[in-house]
Amino acid sequence: MVKTDALIIESSDQVPRRTLFKRFPIPRNFGVSPGSSVERGRNWPAPANATRIKAFDIYRYDPDQKKNPRLDTFEVDLDDCGPMVLDALIWIKSRVDPTLTFRRSCREGVCGSCAMNIDGGNWLACTRFIEETQTPARIYPLANMRIIKDLVPDLTHVFAQYEMVEPWLQSKTAAPERERLQAPEDRAALDGYYECILCFCCTSGCPSHWWNGDRFLGPAALLQAWRWLTDSRDEAAGDRLDKLEDPFRLYRCHTILNCTRTCPKGLNPGKAIAEIKKLVAKRHG
Amino acid sequence: MDRYRFLSPLSRASGLGSAKAGFTHWWAERITAIALVPLTVWFAASLIAHSGSDYQAFIAWAGAPVTTVLMILLLLGLFWHMALGLQVVIEDYVHGEAKLWALLAMRFLCVGLPIVGILAALSIAFGKSAPL
Repeated sequence: MVKTDALIIESSDQVPRRTLFKRFPIPRNFGVSPGSSVERGRNWPAPANATRIKAFDIYRYDPDQKKNPRLDTFEVDLDDCGPMVLDALIWIKSRVDPTLTFRRSCREGVCGSCAMNIDGGNWLACTRFIEETQTPARIYPLANMRIIKDLVPDLTHVFAQYEMVEPWLQSKTAAPERERLQAPEDRAALDGYYECILCFCCTSGCPSHWWNGDRFLGPAALLQAWRWLTDSRDEAAGDRLDKLEDPFRLYRCHTILNCTRTCPKGLNPGKAIAEIKKLVAKRHG
Repeated sequence: MDRYRFLSPLSRASGLGSAKAGFTHWWAERITAIALVPLTVWFAASLIAHSGSDYQAFIAWAGAPVTTVLMILLLLGLFWHMALGLQVVIEDYVHGEAKLWALLAMRFLCVGLPIVGILAALSIAFGKSAPL
């Protein structure tokens, strides 16, 4: 990881060299409703013959049990397990506790299924090395989402917000005989935006979305909105801006840049949102 | 979010639709911020420059037309910027009925206080200030 002291974070490979506190200095479970506070779970020891052992504290929640969420500690045999956090989760699921629940698919950072909170930051479990994690590694589901089970968050609302930005090409001109042409420079305008895999690491990490997620669209949806606003083939920029120009939908972004700091694809949703605001300003005069 | 109502996900997300506003607020926040840079520097520098002055000399400076105009601009810019910023803070963190009352109280102060300041600046300019 490239470490810089940049004031404005432009990519997730820039992490601050110094941080005052490892986490915001309030007790865990502070202000959490009684039914949601995380309790100590059970210990799952490593196999007897294991030599290289790494502990993982993993958030567990089973809605059928009518119990509080709990934090289980799993000891993983690193010699029997792949190098990534996702490998450790799969190792636990197949060797220790088959009820551990998480989403995963591609295991190479292109599907966005295994987004979760690792050591307090959102990232894809399949692209985070186990050796980069703390001991014990703390694995939580994405923050600010309702939890279906264990590490599986309910993404219904954020996908509905994604649907709101109408992420498809809109054109009134009759479809051409062949592909719609685009200059290389126009195509380059999509770079850094089309790569989004919708893992919602950014939206889950956005304080504006924590407090006003019902109305603020969140960085993931707004990055997609910009991806279509900047597409030279799209003809609906005016309508798109009409729908975005709202004190909550767009302007609730206060450039906190947690989104850019946490994007596992190295994209810059903060810049995309700033570009939308600039476009609205341009439209006003 | 009202999670106990049977709303479709899209209905929850779209809510009451776009207000088609927000640009003016955002733009005014930036304009006032830029305006406040020279005004605040001027104000701080003037106070430091007059740290050795006596009351009469200070009143003479404060009552000068240029000072009065700049002072009124500073008060307007400062409290306008403050109102815009506090509105965002309240909208972010205060939810429910308290939000309306917090916004009303904030606006009352952000309109009332600059009027007090402007009247003070004008009364000095027109020689109504109380003699020491």
